[in-house]
Parts: sequence; structure tokens; C-alpha cells
Amino acid sequence: MYTYMTTYLVKDDLMAPEVIADPHAYYRALRETDPVHWNERWKGWVLTGYKEVVDVLRDAENFSSDRMGYLASELTQEEQESIAPIFHVLKYWMVFRDPPEHTVLRMLLNKLFTPVAIERYRPMVRKIVQKTLDKVVASGKMELIRDFAYEVPMTVILELIGAPDLDRDKIKEWSEAIGVFFFIKADEPRRREIACEGINAMVEYIKPLIEHRRENPGIDLISLLISAEEAGQINYNDVIATCVLLVFGGHETTMNLIANGTLALMEHPEQWEKLRNDPKLLKKGVEELLRYDGSVKSTVRWAKADVMVGGKQIKKGERLLVSLSGANRDPLQFDSPDDLDVTRDPNLHVAFAHGIHVCLGASLARMEVEEAFAGLISRISCPVLEDEAYLNYYPSVVHRALKNLPIRFDQIK
Amino acid sequence: MGNIKVTVNHNRCVGSQLCMHFLPDVFDLDGNGQAIVCGLDGTNVTTLVQTAEQCPQCAIKVEDETTGEVLFPPAELGM
Repeated sequence: MYTYMTTYLVKDDLMAPEVIADPHAYYRALRETDPVHWNERWKGWVLTGYKEVVDVLRDAENFSSDRMGYLASELTQEEQESIAPIFHVLKYWMVFRDPPEHTVLRMLLNKLFTPVAIERYRPMVRKIVQKTLDKVVASGKMELIRDFAYEVPMTVILELIGAPDLDRDKIKEWSEAIGVFFFIKADEPRRREIACEGINAMVEYIKPLIEHRRENPGIDLISLLISAEEAGQINYNDVIATCVLLVFGGHETTMNLIANGTLALMEHPEQWEKLRNDPKLLKKGVEELLRYDGSVKSTVRWAKADVMVGGKQIKKGERLLVSLSGANRDPLQFDSPDDLDVTRDPNLHVAFAHGIHVCLGASLARMEVEEAFAGLISRISCPVLEDEAYLNYYPSVVHRALKNLPIRFDQIK
Repeated sequence: MGNIKVTVNHNRCVGSQLCMHFLPDVFDLDGNGQAIVCGLDGTNVTTLVQTAEQCPQCAIKVEDETTGEVLFPPAELGM
């Protein structure tokens, strides 16, 4: 074990196959030896302790999320122009903005994503879950991501933006292209170009929808953004960028959460049985699945000033990889952190981050995942991995994303 | 309406600061970046409930101390 840990630290390779396969072991090794670690290869700090992670996430005064600003400062004018669509759209994303611009957008959109506001979609989600399961349960097997985990969040986000008929396959394709820039294939040399193509295509697809909603307002998210634009609270760039963000962010992370959660329960069938015997535990269960193996492993911040974090001097301009997964397994915050316990309470995990950038869609994701598991535990037995299947994760520092999850189960009649 | 009591559950608060932005006279942050109630100062109860609703974590509880009625969160949220 010791040799293994040493190898990790010496390599400092966040994309090493063993780190992608089991990030928790890597983060544990880091947390135990150096919770605020300078990663020479990535040229930034890696934070894996709960306290340090929470301190940074809750401190927007000293830590910036202005990813595009910092990226621009690293590129020449020419390089920036070569990836103009990334700048034009992503610099207006709430997730990459600091106060006060962030605050305006967040307060506006937050109203539609509160726990109370989200409850109204629960019956719709329940119906989608049942319909999706109807198609697959009788066969006794499915590829969980394609056949189930993807369907639910994609259908919901299209309903929310008031465009149920949009072409899902195209949206998936473009989202994956945009994702290349952030999450996946950090070593892909054309990653910025691929992302530009994805963004351009999605923007061109969304623009007519915005104009249609301008003429025919409804109660959907796009109509809300347009009325805020017309009231002068935000501008047209904010409207377009936010639409792209919602479509992009609205399905993939939730899909991965359902997949990671299913796998976690397959590895702990006694916890699946606990949920099945007492579905009231689902709320706590979902929090535990988020903590145990959430779909976003880390997020990035930039120091706006010289700051001390966990006894280390961080210099202005340096970047920090804030490991949500690392914090979520910190024994100083969670008893037996490597155990899955669907009754865990309290459970103040950081799977949705903390601070001003806490996930806007958190309540929606919670409700969707709760309904997804309510459906699964009532319709199928605790699944097992299909014979000869093996688990393969996308190589990403940020996303915890299985490529597929082929399972077998018995239908509950 | 009797005495209104507002509390923030620090086992839930993630420091989103939304309560503070909506009602800066009522909410503030403690040294850990979590919300605290600094005084209700006659804020009307509807505004308090509407603000509590904005919390992504359902960390804010609004109660009528006289009757013991919980005005937020509603029971159906199961919090």
C-alpha cells in the first residue's frame, strides 16, 4: 500500500488510469499526506481535506471562478480569436462569473430552482421514470446509462426550457463536444476547436427558440430569461449563454449521478434492501450517494490575493483544484467515510459545492435521482453487473462518468 | 400572528449567501461562511418565508413561536 501511495504522489498524474478508475484511493493518499498539495505537473494546488475545501468554496472574496478571464490571460490575442465562440458564450456562464454579475443572475434563476419550485415537476418525473422502466424491466437486463439514466434528466430539462421536441441526439452530441473542453480528454489537442463547433451548433439551434418564445411567452425558463432581458436585468448574451448552460448542465451530471449511485448500491446490496424496505429513507439515501461517489469530482478556483489555506501560502493568480470527492471522504468530517450508509445524518457533503456557486440545479437533481431510485427499487431486484462486463470511466479530472453500466436483474411483479 | 422565530440549520447551510442577498438586514455570515440571523427587525413574515424558500438547502426554518406552527419548510418537503 505504501509503495502504491508513493507512486501516486511522485507521478502527480491526475489522469493516470489508476486514478481515473479509483479517484478515492488517490485523494485519500493525498489527504493523509498533504491535503493542500502543489501538483507540479498540473501547476496548481490540489485540495483534498474537507475543511480546506469548504473554506475555499465559501470564500468568493479571495477565490475567483472567472475561468475565462484566467484563460484569456494565458492566451495571445490570436489564440483567443481562434476560439472566439468559447469566449463569447462561456464568459457569460454564471458558473464562471464572480460577484456582482454572478449575484444578479443567480438571484433571478434561483427562484425557479428552489426545493418548493421543483416539487411541481415531481409527478412528471415519476411518470417519465415509470415509462422508461416499462420498456426495459421485462427483459431482465439493460445498459443502465443509455436505457434509463440518460432518458430521465434529458426529458426533464427539455420540459423546463419549454421545448420538449428538441432533437435529443443532437443536444447530446453538442454537449459532449462542449464537455471535451472542460471535462474529458484534457490531452485531446483539438479540444478547444471541438468545443467551439459544439457551442456554435447549439447556439444556432437555440436562437430561433428564443425568438419564438419572445413572440409567444410561456412559463418556461427561456421566457423568464427573456422577460429579465427586457426589464434590463440581463443582456442577450446572458440569455443565450444561460440557455446553453441549462441544456448542457441539465442532463449529464444527473445521468452520471444515477449511474454512480446504482453502482454504489450494487456493491452494497444490503443498502439497496434498506431503501427497498423503507423508501422514506430515499432522501437521505440520495445525499449519501452524492457524498459517496458524486458525478463531479472537483472544481477549480483562482486565488485573487495571497492567501493561507491549511497552513500553505497560496499566491495571487495560482489555481486550485478543489476536490469535492476528496472532501466527501474526509474522516475528520464523516464517520467511516468509505462506508456507504443510506441512513447517514447529518450529511453536509460538498457534492454540489458550497458557497455562492452551489449547484443551481441541486434541488432538481435531488428530486430526479430520488424518483429514479424510487422507480428502480420498486420495479427490479438489486442488479448485478452483466457477465464479462467491466467498468470503464471517461478520463476526466472533473467528471466521474462511467462509459456504460450493463446490468442484470429480476423484475419485481 | 405571534412571535416569529427564524433559525438556520448549520448541518444544512452551505453558505450560498442567497438569504443574505435577499434580506441583508436579517441574515449575515459567521466566521465559517454559514448564515446566521442577526435580527428580524419587524420584517414581515411573508418576506421571511419567501426568503427561506430561496435556500437551496432548506436550511432556514420560520416558526410562529406562539402557536408552534412551522411556516417553512412545508411538511411535504420532508425536511
